[in-house]
Amino acid sequence: MVGDCAVFSKILLIEDDPDIQTVAQMALEEIGGFTLVVCNSGGEAIEKARRFVPDIILLDVMMPEMDGPETLLKLREIDTIKDIPVVFITAKVMPSDVERYQALGAADVIAKPFEPMTLAERVQEIWSASRG
Amino acid sequence: MRAVADDPLSMEQKMALLRRQYAQKIEDRIADLQTTIRRLGHAEGGERLDSLVIIRDATHKLAGSGATFGFPVVTEYAREMEHACIWVLENPGRESDEDAKTLNANLEKLSQRLLDDVVAQCQEVAEVDDSTERIWVPQLHGSARKKVLIVMEYDGTTAAQVRQEMNHYGFDVRIVDHPNKMLDDLKSHGGVDVIVTGLLFDQDTSAALSALAMMREDSEFKDISVVVNTVLDTMSARLGAVHAGAKAYLVKPVDLANLIDVLDHVTHNHEDEQFRVLIVDDDETLASYTELVLQGAGMDTKIVFDPMDVFDALDLFSPELILLDLYMPTCDGREVAGVIRQREEYAGIPIVFLSGESDKDKQLSAMELGGDDFLTKPIRASHLISSVQIRAARFRELRSFMTRDSMTGLFNHTTTKQFLGIELARAQRNKTDLAVVSLDIDHFKVVNDTYGHGVGDRVIKALARLLRLRLRSADIIGRMGGEEFSAILIDTGVDEAAQVFDIIRKVFSEIEFTADDQTFRVTISCGVAAVPDYNTAQALSDAADKALYAAKNGGRNQVVKAP
Repeated sequence: MVGDCAVFSKILLIEDDPDIQTVAQMALEEIGGFTLVVCNSGGEAIEKARRFVPDIILLDVMMPEMDGPETLLKLREIDTIKDIPVVFITAKVMPSDVERYQALGAADVIAKPFEPMTLAERVQEIWSASRG
Repeated sequence: MRAVADDPLSMEQKMALLRRQYAQKIEDRIADLQTTIRRLGHAEGGERLDSLVIIRDATHKLAGSGATFGFPVVTEYAREMEHACIWVLENPGRESDEDAKTLNANLEKLSQRLLDDVVAQCQEVAEVDDSTERIWVPQLHGSARKKVLIVMEYDGTTAAQVRQEMNHYGFDVRIVDHPNKMLDDLKSHGGVDVIVTGLLFDQDTSAALSALAMMREDSEFKDISVVVNTVLDTMSARLGAVHAGAKAYLVKPVDLANLIDVLDHVTHNHEDEQFRVLIVDDDETLASYTELVLQGAGMDTKIVFDPMDVFDALDLFSPELILLDLYMPTCDGREVAGVIRQREEYAGIPIVFLSGESDKDKQLSAMELGGDDFLTKPIRASHLISSVQIRAARFRELRSFMTRDSMTGLFNHTTTKQFLGIELARAQRNKTDLAVVSLDIDHFKVVNDTYGHGVGDRVIKALARLLRLRLRSADIIGRMGGEEFSAILIDTGVDEAAQVFDIIRKVFSEIEFTADDQTFRVTISCGVAAVPDYNTAQALSDAADKALYAAKNGGRNQVVKAP
């Protein structure tokens, strides 16, 4: 399994909009070839992250009940997850918003709407950058 | 079986399909939005704020998804509406009556413009995509009866769409909107070939899976094929589906051609057995995952952790495809492929490398040594399944030209003998029974001489058909030449085999053949031998042949057991 160690392959996507789920799933699985686990809410993500340790987490900001920033803080409490890069994926990308996300420790921000054909590439770049 | 990925959809085509699905839903959503906006006109205070929150959330979603699906105009208008709502929500109490009126009017105007633009654009999308869809229309196997499908789908719109489209492809679709209704429907209407079910997990349990488990307990319904079609792609959901006996697991969005192919596959009565896939991988976790995926797709698998055991596995398991890990501690996958190719009988077997190696040169060098394909990990389950299925199916088809008798479709002499070796080894390893039957049509020469070879061929084909009908799919039936046949019965003792063939003998003797306005009947003689009385392939065939000879000498039309 020599070649496998440093391969980035697993993504946890937390997103409540089924349409975005669908298109992101196609973009990340079929174009990117990644293994994707989709969660509909922050609560579900915290539950699943205990069993599935991803290489990167994509997190929607506006969600009912537990929103993105709150979910991020909860995820950071899980030992196996706390160092995994988290990327906000959001339609709120005013400079002040972005600053706030970065202050929370987000690795990057992907703006919605996004271009499905290049989403995987973008995620790959962010992941590489996060590893310095 | 028709291969799915012979004409894979390009990403653009898939994206176009998603766009179209999105377009179909969006009009309804805008209509909902307009209803809420109209309500704003009469709402005050807290009620007004609640409505504004609904509008803000709805427009926020539309803004995020619109341009993603290729509708920038949706994003543009929705964002404008969202911002207008946010201003009011973030400045409580500062909205004057005049402001409120302006906002209401603005939202109404924007939503109407949005609707008009979207309707126009959606029509374009629908027209463009209609032309691409024809490319995907699969050719159905001719079948007399419409297959009956129950579609369990939580989302009514999707369900209606599926029904409409499936009808064109020869499926009769009944829709239920909750798992609990599946059983009710089955009990009241029955006659179902396949269930296609959605899947939702509520605290790690799924009502759909429980309903399937209940269905399996009912002997009347336990054999119905199940296909899971869901947005969930988690290991636990997949495992749950496997446990519930699902034959296929499709992750939404699933294009129609793919779904039909799967349905066709699960409803088609394959006269052949499952594909046998040998997995060679030193990593236990990965090997088990691969195994699970392939078994989930109805394949028979065997794992070999040590490449040194590959040859034993080849002989005993007789795979139709080998999945080979490239890097293993004791030897290189490329070397293993090279060694396999050196053996004449395995020169044609498909070998697929499965590895994290992404270096194209190394991949090519693996192919030079006899690999057929290179799948780079991580690989999607559906990808793995179709890659394996396509190659194994092609191999089986090619091999069948060499291994089968062209007139009857039964195995030929050489292949039947090979199977005897394989099955005997398996029986000895598992300490199970195995019987061999030699049979011959009585006075066949007379039939040929009296009615001609064409009629003789008809008699041979009728016997072949009867044998296939009466024996199990796992049993091996061969035409050894002329009017001689042989059968290898798995897990069957000498007495049982003799009984089975006595029934076949009787049934065959009652068949009336017609030629030149005359009717005639034909009989067969059979000789049966089995383990543990005989313990080599040669001894078994010889004993069965001798018993057949005894049956002929004893007056024909009878079954004789070897002493």
